[in-house]
Amino acid sequence: MLFRLLKNSFLKRPKSVLLVFISIVMGASVATAFLGISGEISHKMALELRSYGANILLEPSAVEGGGFLREDDLPKIKTVFWKYNITGFTPYLFGVADFSANGKRERGIVSGTWFAKNLEVAGEEPSVQGVRGIAPWWDVQGGWPAGPDEAIVGAALAKRLGSAIGGHVEATVRGKQQRFQVVGIVTTGGYEEEQLFAPLITTQELLQLPGKVSRVQVSALTVPMDAFGMKNPAQMTKEEYEKWYCTAYVTSVAKNVEEVMAGSRAKPIWQIASAEGSLLKKLNSLMLLLTILALVASAMAVSTSLMASMAERSPEIALMKAIGADRYQISAIFIGETLIISVIGGMVGYLLGDQLAGIISRTVFNSTIASPFWLFPTAIISAFVVAFAGSVAPLRRALSIEPVRVLKG
Amino acid sequence: MSPYIIETGGLTRSYGDICALKPLDLQVPEGEWLSVMGHSGSGKSTLMNLVGGLDRPTGGTLQVGGENLLALTEDGLARFRRNFVGIIFQQHHLVPYLTAIENVMMAQYFHSMPDEAEARHALERVGLGHRLKNRPGELSGGEQQRVCIARAIINSPKLLLGDEPTGNLDHKSTIMVMELLKELRGEERFTVIMVTHNQDVAAWGDRTIHLDDGMLVREERMNCQ
Amino acid sequence: MIAVKLIPHLLAALCLLLVLLRCFASRRKSVLLTSVCGLSAGAFTVLLLRSMPVVSPYLLLKSLLGVGFLALWGVSVAVNYRKNAVALDKNEGGIVSSVAALAGTLLAAFAAGGIAIAKLSDTALATFPPVLLLLVVVIVAVIVGGGATFLEKQLSPRVTITPVGMVVAVVALLLFSASSILRLDLFSPLSMKVMKGVHDLVHQSMESVLIPDHVFVRPVVWKYIGFLFGKEVGFWGGMVIWFTPPVLIALAVSSRKLPSVGHIRQGAQRRKLLAGALREQRLQLLLPLFSLCVLAGAAYQSSFPTVEYWDPKPIPVVANEGGMIILPKKGDILLEDGKIHKYLFKQKEREARFFVLLTPDGQLTVDLDACAICKPDGYGQAEGSVICYYCKTLIPLDTVGKPGGCNPVPIPFTVKDDAVVIDALTLINTWGATVQATTRVKEGGK
Repeated sequence: MLFRLLKNSFLKRPKSVLLVFISIVMGASVATAFLGISGEISHKMALELRSYGANILLEPSAVEGGGFLREDDLPKIKTVFWKYNITGFTPYLFGVADFSANGKRERGIVSGTWFAKNLEVAGEEPSVQGVRGIAPWWDVQGGWPAGPDEAIVGAALAKRLGSAIGGHVEATVRGKQQRFQVVGIVTTGGYEEEQLFAPLITTQELLQLPGKVSRVQVSALTVPMDAFGMKNPAQMTKEEYEKWYCTAYVTSVAKNVEEVMAGSRAKPIWQIASAEGSLLKKLNSLMLLLTILALVASAMAVSTSLMASMAERSPEIALMKAIGADRYQISAIFIGETLIISVIGGMVGYLLGDQLAGIISRTVFNSTIASPFWLFPTAIISAFVVAFAGSVAPLRRALSIEPVRVLKG
Repeated sequence: MSPYIIETGGLTRSYGDICALKPLDLQVPEGEWLSVMGHSGSGKSTLMNLVGGLDRPTGGTLQVGGENLLALTEDGLARFRRNFVGIIFQQHHLVPYLTAIENVMMAQYFHSMPDEAEARHALERVGLGHRLKNRPGELSGGEQQRVCIARAIINSPKLLLGDEPTGNLDHKSTIMVMELLKELRGEERFTVIMVTHNQDVAAWGDRTIHLDDGMLVREERMNCQ
Repeated sequence: MIAVKLIPHLLAALCLLLVLLRCFASRRKSVLLTSVCGLSAGAFTVLLLRSMPVVSPYLLLKSLLGVGFLALWGVSVAVNYRKNAVALDKNEGGIVSSVAALAGTLLAAFAAGGIAIAKLSDTALATFPPVLLLLVVVIVAVIVGGGATFLEKQLSPRVTITPVGMVVAVVALLLFSASSILRLDLFSPLSMKVMKGVHDLVHQSMESVLIPDHVFVRPVVWKYIGFLFGKEVGFWGGMVIWFTPPVLIALAVSSRKLPSVGHIRQGAQRRKLLAGALREQRLQLLLPLFSLCVLAGAAYQSSFPTVEYWDPKPIPVVANEGGMIILPKKGDILLEDGKIHKYLFKQKEREARFFVLLTPDGQLTVDLDACAICKPDGYGQAEGSVICYYCKTLIPLDTVGKPGGCNPVPIPFTVKDDAVVIDALTLINTWGATVQATTRVKEGGK
């Protein structure tokens, strides 16, 4: 019977039902779109941040070392105090080279590195170090280099050179030539796509810099910085310094690594990350605020249109009361009505919001969007929130109707 | 057990300064057909609303079917109405978007649960077996009033209240409705209180009371017609 | 912090008392008194047992929960089997005797109190003086009891609770409360048992029936057999066992016959009776369905436990005459279950804390509960790592047993006859040297 009542009341008053429905759809779709985008932005940003998989960057200090680090020092990284927290590291040696392939000549950067080097350090467990461990997000088509004259080429460089897997690239640096076989094309989304990655030893020969390394990326397990971690180690008491040193702050690990690499300066990359993190936070709270505002607005729209239809329906409600409906029965009818509208509204709102999010992210952020699964329940729930927040006042109005006054005569 | 289904003592109802019902003592024995007459504004509708649990008195005592209506909560009054009272309005007050049978079933729904067969039977009893699926707009005044009667008696009330049930009907329909009510009363044995200003309609009852300005001014007893 | 941790448990206890009070509405006062006593008694008992070194209170609570779950199974089968014969699912005053009602209430409240207090770690409890603690326990129990009474009064008198509904709700609430405590959780062990049971069954039937034919079993068949060994079987099997009782009870309630109304002539009366019976039936479905949700919550909590450090209380051990500490690999404690097991060794004035752990690569390791640099605050185990409480550094499990950094200091040991043997003197000396060194540094800095 409840169902019949609802069905008939919907069919009888399509206009006011439609009005409520549209308000709910608006609220749900705006909430879906905004939350979806903000989720996607967080996701994108998080990916971006993860591409700094290495969180410590070792560079030659300007003062000493002549601009290079020594490859011989690298194994020492596995012997430092925080050795178990260092999950991986990889050295790089950069140089500008003239590449030629398929008759095209292009200028680019040749980068020597470890891909997956078996590192044996006396007194320590053997481990595998290199790009493959520290940059798992690199998307390599083809394979990783195994021999000394194999290389992987960044996607952008490969495009310029028109080289493909299996082809060859000739690199020339100050008259010295080296022929690489291309075994893979790498896509990283970053500056690496402009480079050619070759084994470190070959690159050192090519650049005539034996035993040298330009920089080392270190990835370490660290604890989040807190107020104590931010303190300047130079101004700490001995006791504080002890504690700082034996806490895995990114700064203390960096310092630890710096100590064993002669002529190096360690920079924690978290500074960039935390700046982006706070930007992200602000953006997210802005999105949340807008979402809440949109929801409040549509709840008010729902409330207004329900109020209007309540005025229209007051004889009906008065009659129901007169023939013996109590407050629960009256509420059941109106809540049931709202429930149905909001379930359908939530679904439609989800579909619309998803499209809206796609459009926004295409036009504003210039990226496509993959809608996450949790958006669906979010849409339904926001539809419910809008519907129920909007129907509180009308329902109270309905319950306060006095049959005697309305049914006069 | 009191022999009276309705007992009031000093019953009053005032709206602000206006006193719609002056202290009224009234007893209605079970099974009686009571007609209430008076000009408009004489308090007859107020009396009916009070007795039917649609309104609350401002003073006095009011016992209906052994229930002290002054002590009931709002939901308690609603339960009292659905179990005990059937109401027929002058304006019918049918839900416009429900069919005749659905209007009857709605009363069943609020009372306990709908039962379509029983609702159909009730409409057949009031002679509307052929108009079950029609909406109120498609029915004549007399037919609408008969739906209203079917709805009022569907839950077997002890008390049937009529607020000028024939006020909008022509003479022929009036006779038809009154005959129907009399017949149903014979079968169901409910008490009837009927507000009217039509002497002929009032004459269908066992007893007539006249109200004026909220006071009982005259009482007359009919003999069987 | 403590209060926040306890909130779900106290809420569960509140609901439990509410259900009991409404179910035994005719004996409200005695039930209230019993349940408050039960809550306090459960908490006291667990506190007492925890303060004693050897006895574990968890076994008691866990068996109580197990018995409760089995009882729920029994009840759920019984109501289906004897649907209309026994009035177990009717709510009439005299069906449960007063002794049984009070005993049940006492047990349920005892378990609820015990579980709630078991949630708190030793360190959290140590901050209170014992007398105050007992007082707080009693006060909380009284508050919970008062709250339940208040809520019960608010509840519409039309809502009645049958003994069956009471049993299913009480057991579900207790299991929910227990599921957030690693040592009391029943769902994970249940799915584990199912997995093991299926595994053994398949294995044994293979051995007895199929051994000569192994080569003939087609790879496709092996795929299905392989599925039986998977983790999913345990999980879904556990789910089935877990959720069946409330479903059975709900089925029993919904398939109960409605009163016959054919003889009633008046339609209104007939409808009233029928509607009343339907409403009653729906009301009685409420608790089994509620329990279903609660049990789902319990299964969820058990499958995705909130990250908390596994930090068992150190068990005191002694050395034999040869100065050796011998820890059997199997027995009360399974050393090789991948969790850290802490021990406390005392010799005269000196003592040493250490733990035994099976690392993910399958090596047993014995280490001090301290590292070479930090104050010896000890370690807790989290997912895939241990954490040093002092400097909050996460140490991957693979590297536990290797010296250096903030890693726990390893102790040499041998494995003999399925037992770990540790030289007591080496242990105590290493501890002494390590701790002395770290505390000296700390104090030297002052």
